[in-house]
Amino acid sequence: MERRKTTGEMSAAEIAEVLTQVRAGDADAWGELYRMYAPAIFRFCRRALPTREDAEDATTEVFMKVRQKLGTYDSTRPFTAWLYKVASNHCWDMLRRRRIRQDLETGDLETLPLEHPDPSQLERLQAEHGSKEVRNGLQKLPDRARMALVLRYFAEMSYEEIADTLGVRRAFVGVLLLRARHQLRDVLAGTDAALILGAGGAKR
Amino acid sequence: MSHFDEMTALLYLESQLDAEHAREIAAHSASCADCRELLHALQTEGIWLRESLAGEDEVMPARLTEGRERNAAPWGWISALGLSAGGAYTLWSGFVEPWRAQAAQAGFTQGNLFTMLFFSGAFWKGWDAMRSLMEFLAVATLGLVVMWLLRRRWRSLTTIALVLGAMIWSLAISPVASAAETKRGDPNYTLPAGEEVKTDLIVFADRTQISGTVDGDLIVWSRSVTVTGHITGDILCFAQQLTVNGPVDGNVRTFAQNGTLNNKVGKNVMVWAQELDLTETAIIGGSVTMGVGNAELNGHVAGDVLGFAESFDVNGSLGRDASFQAGTLQIGPNAEIKGRTKFTGGREAEVSPSAKLGSPIEFILKKHGNERNYSSPRFYWHQVLLWGASFVFGLVVLLLAPGFFFDAERACGKTAQAIGFGLLFLFATPIAAIIICITIVGLGVGISTVFLYFIAIYSAQVFVGSWLGEKILGSGVGVGAGLGRLALGLLLLRAVGMLPYVGHWISFVVVAWGLGAVVLALYRYMRPQVAPAI
Repeated sequence: MERRKTTGEMSAAEIAEVLTQVRAGDADAWGELYRMYAPAIFRFCRRALPTREDAEDATTEVFMKVRQKLGTYDSTRPFTAWLYKVASNHCWDMLRRRRIRQDLETGDLETLPLEHPDPSQLERLQAEHGSKEVRNGLQKLPDRARMALVLRYFAEMSYEEIADTLGVRRAFVGVLLLRARHQLRDVLAGTDAALILGAGGAKR
Repeated sequence: MSHFDEMTALLYLESQLDAEHAREIAAHSASCADCRELLHALQTEGIWLRESLAGEDEVMPARLTEGRERNAAPWGWISALGLSAGGAYTLWSGFVEPWRAQAAQAGFTQGNLFTMLFFSGAFWKGWDAMRSLMEFLAVATLGLVVMWLLRRRWRSLTTIALVLGAMIWSLAISPVASAAETKRGDPNYTLPAGEEVKTDLIVFADRTQISGTVDGDLIVWSRSVTVTGHITGDILCFAQQLTVNGPVDGNVRTFAQNGTLNNKVGKNVMVWAQELDLTETAIIGGSVTMGVGNAELNGHVAGDVLGFAESFDVNGSLGRDASFQAGTLQIGPNAEIKGRTKFTGGREAEVSPSAKLGSPIEFILKKHGNERNYSSPRFYWHQVLLWGASFVFGLVVLLLAPGFFFDAERACGKTAQAIGFGLLFLFATPIAAIIICITIVGLGVGISTVFLYFIAIYSAQVFVGSWLGEKILGSGVGVGAGLGRLALGLLLLRAVGMLPYVGHWISFVVVAWGLGAVVLALYRYMRPQVAPAI
């Protein structure tokens, strides 16, 4: 039996060919496209949304949207990037619709804590917490912070794309990311967040 | 240059600074160990984040691994249709047909019983008058189902237009409902004596008094209904109290708590009630069919009588055969039954010596409760039929609403929570439905609630069974594996339910468990807020 190809094994030309076939209504090509990208999109949704059930629903719905919007895809851009854009818009819409954002950053996006991390504490934190703990910690972050980290460090989106998805000004994306990192550190360090902070930047 | 802050360091690492600023940072960090250390820590953190987020610890669920729009072989659908047909045949041959035959043996000689019950007389006409609404709801539901099924296939508005067009067309070509006068009480409605309604009359009111003449059918939703006038058609009534003192030329069909008939009914009577009283002055031209708590039959019935009740008290004359299934049957001194009399009950009928019976009572002793005869092959065959019916039901749910099916199945995993909610809803839902039914407006809602409640209770075994099957067989991919899980789980539940002494209790827990899972799955769709899963 022929082994299924994964995203990494397909060249841009091959992806373009599959997309052409999908646009022509080829159900098999659609199945191939789905099989190639569904696991990645599921993982993305799993990171971006609070529950596994939400991620499952979102994966299905994202592909429905992809099918509908395939005509708008600009083939000069990487397909994966476009796919993640559709997925991120969908997930963010989902969260927004449910009004569950516990994000309190909207009003003070421009402000940041002045404390600087103690690099050695930061490295210790990384050494003490495995990937799974980071993912678990991520689920405890406010939606906007979680989305920002996922968009940047999982979907590898540019600052412009993140700003567009989350509806913030581009200049604030860095602030958003840094704040999200701080929040994740706090979550991983437990309540004793001061451990990883250099006590008001005393070190510097 | 002085030390730079963390924000600047992050922007530098992510190439978000302009070239000049970036050069300054690079130059400074080359000579400053603290800043170099900060840059390194942040860079490592970025890598750590990327690696952690890319990590794969959860496999995509089986139902998502195959594209839903795959061009699959139609074997799944063919087998599903085959099983559905088999299940439908099983249901018909196992339950419906025997019951029908039993009814026919009971002396019910009016041809097709179903036709008589549902498609003749007031029922049919009643719905006929109401059919604009019914048709709209039916077509709308059908349309929604079609739209749901086609939701991934349409590429433009064409399909939507087609479906909507078909719906409108369906409504347009349906015959115009026969004219009927609709009255809404404020809160009561009275048709005064001497007045005549020359068409069908539909009434929604708290109390309804019909003293005038209705030259057509009378269809009533009301708390109490008193008819002293003349009804030339049928009466179809949903009420707490129905009293008919005037003549009715057609049929009387009623769902009521108490029903009293004092006058002539030209055709048949069908009653579902707590108490039914056919007084000495009542004359029924056709047959009487009833499912009641207690019934007193003191009038005259020209046709057959078929009754299911807790107790029957017969002191009138019955022109043809009578079949009773009840706890007790008393036949008084003035009673006269010209045809055969069959009685199925817990003890023999008490018959007055003065009563006139066309033939001796054929008495069948009803076995106590649901006593199981483990030595009878019929018992096991019955269990197989029940298993088949539940499997077909599960199959239909799986095909129509796979998302909900899997949600409910998964919710079974939260055992304690599901059983707790299940018990709550098991007892609270009927109470709520009864309370809603007290108001006329809520009657439809209440009846719908009860209807859905029974469906949910029946479906409980399907979700628990499927969950159980997954625990045993694992979560394989595809229709076949899903059906296998469902079949095995239901088989186990059926087998456990057959156990003496504890079987009933286990079945009860399964009902609560599955019902709770349904509630949890429904809640998932309606919850206002979601807590993080971890």
